[in-house]
Amino acid sequence: MKKVGIVGIGHGKFGVRSDASLRELVFEAVKACMDDSGVTLKEVDSMVTGVAGDEFSFGIQPSAQVHDYIGFHPKPNFRVEAACATGSAALRTGWMNIASGLADVVLVVGVEKMTELPTSTATEIMGRAGDATWEYPFGTTFPGYYAMIANAHMAEYGTTEEQLARVAVKNHYYGSLNPYAQMQKEITLEKAITSFTVAYPLKLYDCSLITDGAAAIILASEEKAKSISKKPIWIAGLGCGTDAMRLGDRKSLTSLEATRVAARAAYKMAGVGPSDIDIATAHDCFTIAEIVAYEDLGFCEKGEGGKLIEAKETYVGGRIPVNVDGGLKSKGHPLGATGVSMAIEITKQLRGEADQRQVKNAEIGLTHNVGGSGQVSFIHIFRRE
Amino acid sequence: MEFKNFSLFINQTKVNRFADDLAGGKIMSTLCKKCGKQYYPPAADCSSCMGSEMEWKELKAEGKLLTFTKIHVPPEHFAVRQPLMPFSSIQFEPCPIGIIEVGKELPIMGWIPKMDIKKIKVGMKMKASPFALPDGKITIVLEPV
Ligand SMILES: CC(C)(COP(=O)(O)OP(=O)(O)OC[C@H]1O[C@@H](n2cnc3c(N)ncnc32)[C@H](O)[C@@H]1OP(=O)(O)O)[C@@H](O)C(=O)NCCC(=O)NCCS
Ligand SMILES: [Zn+2]
Repeated sequence: MKKVGIVGIGHGKFGVRSDASLRELVFEAVKACMDDSGVTLKEVDSMVTGVAGDEFSFGIQPSAQVHDYIGFHPKPNFRVEAACATGSAALRTGWMNIASGLADVVLVVGVEKMTELPTSTATEIMGRAGDATWEYPFGTTFPGYYAMIANAHMAEYGTTEEQLARVAVKNHYYGSLNPYAQMQKEITLEKAITSFTVAYPLKLYDCSLITDGAAAIILASEEKAKSISKKPIWIAGLGCGTDAMRLGDRKSLTSLEATRVAARAAYKMAGVGPSDIDIATAHDCFTIAEIVAYEDLGFCEKGEGGKLIEAKETYVGGRIPVNVDGGLKSKGHPLGATGVSMAIEITKQLRGEADQRQVKNAEIGLTHNVGGSGQVSFIHIFRRE
Repeated sequence: MEFKNFSLFINQTKVNRFADDLAGGKIMSTLCKKCGKQYYPPAADCSSCMGSEMEWKELKAEGKLLTFTKIHVPPEHFAVRQPLMPFSSIQFEPCPIGIIEVGKELPIMGWIPKMDIKKIKVGMKMKASPFALPDGKITIVLEPV
C-alpha cells in the first residue's frame, strides 16, 4: 500500500462567524494551508469536500460553491457526508485517492456554517440524523440520543453527573488555550453542574457547541510528501465501523460498536495498541461520548471511563491526553470541519507545534470521529516517522 | 389512516398498515416467513435472509426499560412558540421518553407521560400501548406495570 502523509494544515477560526459565508470560511482555511505547506493549488491534483448538511449550506452541491470560490475547477472535487464524522470521511477519501494512485497531492476541506439558523431549526435538522421515521416522532434530538446513552451508562457502571462535568471542565480549560476555539473560557465544576438541563441528565455544559468553521489539509504520496515537507506526518492506520440506525437496536447502549470495530481495524493497520497512543482527539459531542470513547478506544476498561477523567489521566501529563485542543465541547463542532480539525491538532502535536498544549515528545496520535448517535465511526492513527 | 399520523413527516412506506393497527389498539411487528426473524419497528424486508415475504404479528408489549431521557430543548416541530402578550412567558414541561425491550431484542420507543423523571429507572418493567392524541395523531406511551 502507498504511504500517505500530511504536508499542510490550515485551521480557520471557529465560532459564531456571522462575518463570513461557507465559501469564505473555506478560503481562510485553504489559504492557511497553502501558507503552511508552501504548496499552491496548481500543484494539487484533486480535492474532497466534507459538508454534512444541505440545510446548513442553503443548497445542494456545497462542494461546488467551494471549488468555485477557491478557483479549483476544472480539477476533480466532490462532496463526502457522514453526519458529524463528515470531516474524517473526507480525510479517508483523500487517503483513498492517493493510495489508489489516482492522485499524488490532494486537498481535503471540511466546513459547516451552522449558526445562520436558529438553535431550534439546527436541533431539528440534527435530530433527524437519528431515525426520522421511528425515533423522531418522539421528539428526539441529538442531545436526547446521548442522554439515553448517559442514563444507560450511569445505570450500568455508576458513572456520575459530576464525572461528566469534569470532561467539560477539562475541555474548556484547553479551549481557553486554543486561539482557534469558539469558547476560550475556563469553567468551574460548579458552573457545569448547575447549568440548565438540555436533555436529562445532560446539561448545557455537557453539550458541544453549534459552530461555523472550516479546516483544510493537504495530503501527498510518500515521494511528494518528502519533497514538499521536512516533517510530513504519516497516516499509519485507518478504521471505519458502522452500527444500527436506532439506539434500541444496538447490542449495547453503553458502548459504540462502530467505534470498537473502527479501532480494531486502525490499530491493526498501524501495528500499535491503545497504550502506544501519546495523544488523542475523541468525539466529545457530549461529555458522555468522551467517557464512552475512552472505553471503546481501549484507554481504560469498560465502565472505568468516569474514573479516568476523575483521576485527570486525560490531561497533558496524564496517561493519555485527550482533546487538549478543547474538543467539540469548547473548540466547537462545525460538523463537516470537525474531523479535519482533529487531524490538524494531532499533526501540530506530532510536529511539536502545539504551544502550551504540547504533549512532550508525542510520536503517535489518534483521531476518533463519530457520525450521528454512533451509526458510523472513523479512526485515524498518525505517526511522526 | 395515513402513516404520517404516526411518523409526522414520512408517509410512503410498505408498512403503512402499522398506523392503522396502532389506531386499532395494537402494536404490530413483522415476521419473516422464511427465516422467522421478527422486526420491530416492522420492516417490509428481511435483512437476515433477504426475503420479502413477511407476516404481521401483534406484540405483547411488555418489557424492561433500556433507557430514557427528557428533552428540554426540543426540535422546531415540537418547540413552544413564545406568547404574543408582552412581558409574558410560557412554562414548558416536556414529557420523558424511553425505550423498552420486548421479547427478544425488540425495542419499543414511547412517551412516558405519567412519571416524574427522577422516579424513572433503567430496568423497570413497563408496558407500551397505542395512544390517540387529541389532534388525530397516533403514538405510543409507556407506563410501569
Ligand atoms: C446546548 C444548546 C441547545 C444551547 O443552545 P442555545 O440554547 O441556543 O444557546 P444560545 O446560543 O442561546 O447561547 C446561550 C449562551 O450559552 C452559551 N452556549 C451555547 N451553547 C453552549 C454549549 N454547548 N456549552 C456552553 N455554552 C454554550 C452561549 O455562548 C451563550 O452564552 P452568552 O449568553 O454568554 O453569549 C446547543 O449548543 C446545542 O444544541 N448543542 C448541541 C449541538 C449538537 O447536537 N451537535 C451535534 C452533535 S454530534
Ligand atoms: Zn428472513
